[in-house]
Parts: sequence; structure tokens; C-alpha cells
Amino acid sequence: MSRMNIVGNSVPRPDAFEKVTGGKGYIVNVRLPGMLHAKILRSPYPHARIRHIDASQAEKLPGVKAILTPAEVPQIKFHPVYFSPSTAASMIKDMLILSDTVRFAGEPVAAVAAIRPEIAEAALELIRVDYEALPAVFDTAEAMKTGAPQIYEHAPNNIAMHPSFSFGELQRGFDEADYVFENTYRTQRVHTCYMEPRVCVVESDSGGNLTVWSSTQSIFGLREKLAFALGIPVSKVRVVKPPYIGGGFGGKLDMGFLEPIAALLSLKTGRPVRIEHTRYEDFITTARNPIEIQMKTGVKKNGTFTARYAKSILDTGAHTTHGAVVLMVHGFFGFLLPYRCPNQKWEGMTVYTNNIIGGGFRGYGAPQAAFAVESQIDEICDKLKFDPIEFRLKNAHTEGEQHPFDPSFALTTYRFAECLKKGAAQMGWSKRQPAGSGSGTKKRGIGFACQPLWVSGCLGFPDIYEHSGAILKLNTDGTVNLSIATVDLGCGQNTVLSQIAAQELGVPVSAVKVTYADTDTVPFDAPSHASRVTYSAGNAVKAAAGSAKKRVFQVASGLLKAAPEDLEITDGRVHLKGSPENGLPLADVVKRAESPCVNMVPDGMQRTPLDEKGTIMGVASLAPTSNPSPAAVEFVEVEVDTETGEVKLLRVVYAHDIGKVINPAGAEGQVEGGVQQGLGFALMENLVFDPSSGACLAADFLSYKMPTALEMPPDIKCVWVESDEPTGPFGAKSLAEPCLIVPAPAIANAIYNAIGVRVRDLPITPEKIL
Amino acid sequence: MKQVITLEINGERREVAVEPSSTLLHVLREENDLLGTKQACDVGGCGCCTVLLDGRAVYSCMVFAMAAQGKKITTIEGLRKDGKLDPLQEAFMEAGAVQCGYCTCGMIMAAKAFLSSTQSPSDQEIRQAISGNLCRCTGYHKIVDAIRMASTIR
Repeated sequence: MSRMNIVGNSVPRPDAFEKVTGGKGYIVNVRLPGMLHAKILRSPYPHARIRHIDASQAEKLPGVKAILTPAEVPQIKFHPVYFSPSTAASMIKDMLILSDTVRFAGEPVAAVAAIRPEIAEAALELIRVDYEALPAVFDTAEAMKTGAPQIYEHAPNNIAMHPSFSFGELQRGFDEADYVFENTYRTQRVHTCYMEPRVCVVESDSGGNLTVWSSTQSIFGLREKLAFALGIPVSKVRVVKPPYIGGGFGGKLDMGFLEPIAALLSLKTGRPVRIEHTRYEDFITTARNPIEIQMKTGVKKNGTFTARYAKSILDTGAHTTHGAVVLMVHGFFGFLLPYRCPNQKWEGMTVYTNNIIGGGFRGYGAPQAAFAVESQIDEICDKLKFDPIEFRLKNAHTEGEQHPFDPSFALTTYRFAECLKKGAAQMGWSKRQPAGSGSGTKKRGIGFACQPLWVSGCLGFPDIYEHSGAILKLNTDGTVNLSIATVDLGCGQNTVLSQIAAQELGVPVSAVKVTYADTDTVPFDAPSHASRVTYSAGNAVKAAAGSAKKRVFQVASGLLKAAPEDLEITDGRVHLKGSPENGLPLADVVKRAESPCVNMVPDGMQRTPLDEKGTIMGVASLAPTSNPSPAAVEFVEVEVDTETGEVKLLRVVYAHDIGKVINPAGAEGQVEGGVQQGLGFALMENLVFDPSSGACLAADFLSYKMPTALEMPPDIKCVWVESDEPTGPFGAKSLAEPCLIVPAPAIANAIYNAIGVRVRDLPITPEKIL
Repeated sequence: MKQVITLEINGERREVAVEPSSTLLHVLREENDLLGTKQACDVGGCGCCTVLLDGRAVYSCMVFAMAAQGKKITTIEGLRKDGKLDPLQEAFMEAGAVQCGYCTCGMIMAAKAFLSSTQSPSDQEIRQAISGNLCRCTGYHKIVDAIRMASTIR
């Protein structure tokens, strides 16, 4: 099909009807006959050794079916991150399903399965644990000091890793600079706040085979991590794909404690076991890592960088989880790569503390970096009296250049400058007033921030899966079943992939149905993360559709008396190229392929050619050929009440080089949600802890403040720059993460413009303004 | 000690055995299979479990089931009349207000109570009305669009 009549349109979500009428497909709704409910006993101590566990009283409670303690758990050290192989050298394996040492307040100690959740809960109270409290540390600077409590033997001074990269000659760069800027920026711990809690049901059979339902961002990731931690082959684990989940945002990008605990309890009892996190359990087991960024930058009077140095200290809590990869993405995509500079050095430290563990969160280290980098650029421009747009353009990469991360790619399509110019025009940037120049108590300001370089997947990153697959099968009524492992987190992955399949095959999008899938039946897909699905999974779906189409043409060529290469499909009809009237419904071609070899007709028997027989399908499993960079810029207008310190976000303009918009309404939804999460990160959200005990003090939605409809700006505009990426499906690149990377620094820069005060630590609460 | 009570749910009288401590949310989901009402926090902090009690929007996790006796309970499953969707359900689909969808049913119920008492609401009034319901995907933008849209076709 040559016309773009499906891709580029806001086709409705196939799952919307089900979701507005109740949404049966969420994993919280999975109920199996004989299912038990499990609860996890968690340590009140941030650091302790378990001397003894006495579960005898709990076992006697009527309704209790099994209790799990560390002694019965395989002691295989694992890392929980879905996108990286369990054996990857770059990943730190420091977790056990249950250990005799706990390292954060809330770490699992034991678990109970019972016929009802309240019984399991009551049984937890009856388990006696004899803890030997160990000294604990909650601050990265304290943790690195000599004599600090050591959390692991493998990490002297609690430093889990300390990567360092440099290019050019840093000192020479600083010597050549006309000005040198040194600042420290700090970001806080925030939570993804997906609305559906983490929940799983695990069923086992007598052969020890497991079937798993979980609210997860990756079915293959969970299969591999669970098999590894239990010490069983992957073929003994079948993970069923959720039709949809209630949000993820990176927070369901690793195996939780819940899946292996439910699996072991199911193996022990022979019954299905369900575990649903309370919101408290969600809050303490995945969060964005706080990072302190010490940054030193040398610039010439003419506005070019001569040297850039940063040291980033990441609090990874009690286990590394994502803390190793978040740090690397932060360093490379947050600091080193977005702008050109001949002399650069970055070093990072992932530091263990007895704080809660971190997780993935949309942007994955880049929001922390962008806050520092984009704030400091504005500070530099202020000092140099340089236009912030000009400054960024002067130091930015340009279209056609070699990709700064992987030299085997090029920035073939890269319209950062266009994003800046169009966004500025839409915001009315030229009317911006000098910082703090407004009169009255309520002062307005505008500002912006950029994520000049990002990813459309993970190709080129070490130790990260990137391939995707799809099976596309045609039915005799002209409809299409699309089987993919890709999980729809809510972003509309199923919609966009259906559009790509429909466009490539030439059928209406309503003819494509994303079907049941599990790890036994569909090809591998890397997780739904890293802004990768439209680009990477989209290419696999397009390839599968293309291969099915080829077969359609082979079968149809006999029926239409034409060469396969002269055929095309439009709106579900197979026809000669350019003449849609000379053709037949796709359904007829499929029926022909599926028909008996010999058919009884009024005149007798009719034979059909054997080489037309067989289900028409397309299968693909492939890695994309590149990792093209999108570019993002967000302009915002704020109003600061200088009497109360309250900041109101009034207006947002978001400009993004997306390659090609597949679904405009879905794309706008990504931006609007990104503004909500970014506004929360900038001004409101903070997962605060008691500094003496490590206890989480904001582990529910009453004390953890995220934006409601009232805090949101009424005016959010999207500016799409369509650069038509040649390696992307129908020209598409990625979108999701930059929407949340740019808001915080844009808001910080706008606040500076309003009141002339620079805040370098998030969140920017009224106390800091005053 | 369980006690048998009668609840009127979506126009149907149902006998259920409940503990005095059972919340309406628990009874709807676990005893009546009405899975459209979601649990996301269980402390009245998110609004995913919003249902109507005599037409008023309540967090069903904050209401004891026993306290709902003698009142008309409406859940998302009760909005569809004769197979026809409520205008709010249509509008949520039309406006693209559904992403992950986990907050959607609670959001629609909050909007239902609001629209039954407010004619031609302003956007600010709509935002106020759903400010007790959290959404993490949409930024509320298209949700406000959907409620405005539904308010005109009521």
C-alpha cells in the first residue's frame, strides 16, 4: 500500500472498550481454582543478620499452607534486570530470593501462603525472628568513608562500581577556557507510581513446570530471571503475556521478590500462589536513584565548550538492581554525548547504602543528568550574556554526523535545530524578559531544556538485548492475528504495532488482532522499555507482515493471472498495482490457501494447486539495523508566587524529532503524561526517609504527593518534527522517555527567569523558593 | 464473625456474608466478582476504587460494606444500560483518555457523580471534580477533554 492511510492517524485503541467497561485483563484479576494467597514478612531493621526464625506458631494457624524461610530457598545470587542476560559480566549479582542478611528496612525475610490473604497476614505476626542488628548507613558520602558499615564484602567502601571515561585532554581544555563553572546538582528519590500494583500468580505442575502471570514489562525477561534464580532451565518456566498492565514506566522492568517467592510456595504446596504488593511494598522496592552531580565546565567567550567534567554519585540502596546501568546511561546519554566538546571526562560511582533498592524509571538516569546539564548551560549563558538557544546550537551535533555513541551509525535524520526553532516560535521565546524583572508578587518566567540525543532502543549498548519478533497469521475472514511478546504498558504499544502491521499488509487496522502469547509460543522480544517498541518491535512486525504479504501474492497470482510482483493489497483487497477494481478480497486468497486440495463442485471434483496450500503467515525475529536518535526540547512558562513560594506551571510546548508520528493522539498522550511525571519530579515528589532508621516516610499516596489534575498546566502543545528515518518502520523513531527527561530542567530554568533564583536541588519546593 | 447483609448493587439485591471490617471494595471485588473497581492503594489516596453510593462518588476502600446497606451502589459494570455504553465511557474512548486504563473506571465514576449535579462545567470545575483521582499516564489532559465532551451529550 503506497498511501499512508493508517500510519499517521489517531486510530482508536483496541483495548479502550474493555478498559472503560471494567478491564478484566489486568493481572490483579487472575483467579485460579485452589489458589493460595501469600504475604511477605519484611525486616524492620535496615541492616541485620538473622540468627534464627521460629515459624512453628504460624504453621499452626488454621488456613496456613506453607511457610518459606531463607533455609529453603536456593542461594543463587542473581541480578533482577530484565533487559540484560543473567550471566552478563557488566551486571552485579548481589541478590538472593531470601537471605540470612537483610540490608534495607523492608527486605523480605520469610513468606506465608494461606487460603486467604488475611490469614497469611495474621500468620506473619506469629513468626519469631531473632535479628542481630548491624550498623547501617544511609548517606552516600558517609558510606564511602573509611570505617563506615560495610554492606557487602565485594564492595570496599561500599562502592559497587566506579566507571570513568575520558576523551581529549581535560586539563588543556580547562586551560583554554575563558570561564570555568563549577556547580553541584542533586536529585531526589521518586517513584514510578504505576497504578496497578505489582502482582503475580504462579502455578506449578507435578513435573516442576511453572506457569506465571505477572504485571511485568517483559515476559522473556521474567522467564530468564526466574529460571536463573531458581536454578532451573528456562523451558520449565512459561510466562503468560498480560493483555495489558496498569502502567510500568520502568518500575516493572525487573523481577521482584514476589515472583520467585510465589514460585517456591507453589512448588511446595502444589497449588497456585498469588502475591499482590501493597502500595507500601511497591514504594520500597523500586524507585528512581538519587544522584549527586558535581560538574565543572570550561567555555570560550564565543560560547563553545572547551572542557566538561562531571562526577556522579548514585545511591543504589541495598542492592545494585538497575543502579549499574542507570549510572552508565546517565553518564553517556545524560552527560557525555548530547553536546560536542573535544575534552571531556565523566566518572560515576554506584554506592551501596541501607536505603531501599532502586529500579528503572522512564528516562533511566537521564532526567537526573539533564537537570544538571541543562541548568548549568543556562547559568553559563546568564554569565556570558549568551542566548541559550544559540549556545546549544553552537555545541550541538548536526544531521549527517557520525553517531557519537556508536561510530557504526550516523545521525542520518537529526533535526534538533528545527525542534529548538519551532518550539521557540510556538512559545513566544523572543518576548522573554530578563531574569527576575517582573513586578508584583506573582512573577512569570519562561525557560526551556533539551535532550539533544537519545535512543530508539538499545542497539550498541553492551550486554543489553535488542531483538524483537512477531508471528502474523491470516484468517479466512480476512483478519490477522498478531502474536508478539511485546507488553503494552498503557502507552499504546498494541495499537501502534497493529497500525504498522495493517499498513504494511494493506488491511484495515480493525482487521488486526493482537492475540494471546506466552514464552512457549512466540519469538523473543526485549522488554517494553528504552523508548524502543515502535522502532525495534515495529520493524519486526513490519517484516513479518511483509513476509505474509509475499505469500499472499504467490497464492493470488494464480487466481488473478498476474505475476506476484505486479500485485498489491489495499483496504483488504488484493489487486493489480494501480487498479483496485481488478482484484478480490484478501479473505478469498486466504480461503484458497486453506481449502482442501480437492473440492467437490456441481461438475465433479476440482483440484487446486498444491503449492497454494498452507496457512498464510509471516514470521520475523530480528534486531534493528540502527539506533537513530530523536531530539527533544521543552519550553515552559511558570508563575512563581513570591509570597507563598508556590510555582504554577502555566504552559508547555514540547518539540520532538520523532521521525514519523504513527498515532498522533497516542503520541500526545505520551507527552502529556511526561509533563505530569516531570512536574512531579521538578516540584513535588520526594520519597523521604527517616535518616536514622531508613524507614520510608512517604509510602502511600496520601504522603507521596504527585500532581493531580489541578496542578497540571491547561495548555500543552506538541510540535512534531518528522524527519522520516530510513531505518524506522514508516520513518518512525522513538518518543517515550525524553518527554520526562526535559520538564524538570525546563521548569528550573523558567523559575530562574521568573525570580532570578537558581535552585540546584530537586524538588523545588516552596521552602527553597523562599 | 461474618454477618449476612443485603446490598443493592447496580440495581440488583445481593446477599453477602461480610466481616465487620470488610470494605465495600473488598466485597465488590472478592465476593461479587465486580472486577472493574480497582484497588491501587487501599487508603483513600488514589481514587481507583471510586463507586457511587446513592449517586455520590466514594472511595470504596474507605467505606465498610455494612455501612453501604440500604444504599444504591453503582459500579462501572452498572453504567452500561441495555448494552449501551454511558456517554462518559464513549467519550473516554473517543478522546483518547485511556492509556494503561487502571484509573479509568474510578475516574469515570467520579465524573459520573460530578456531571449528574453540574451542567456545562468549566475545565477548572472538571479538574476540581477529578482531583481526588490519580492518573500516572495521561497528564489528565484527555480525561478533561472526555468529561467535557460527555457533558455536552448527556
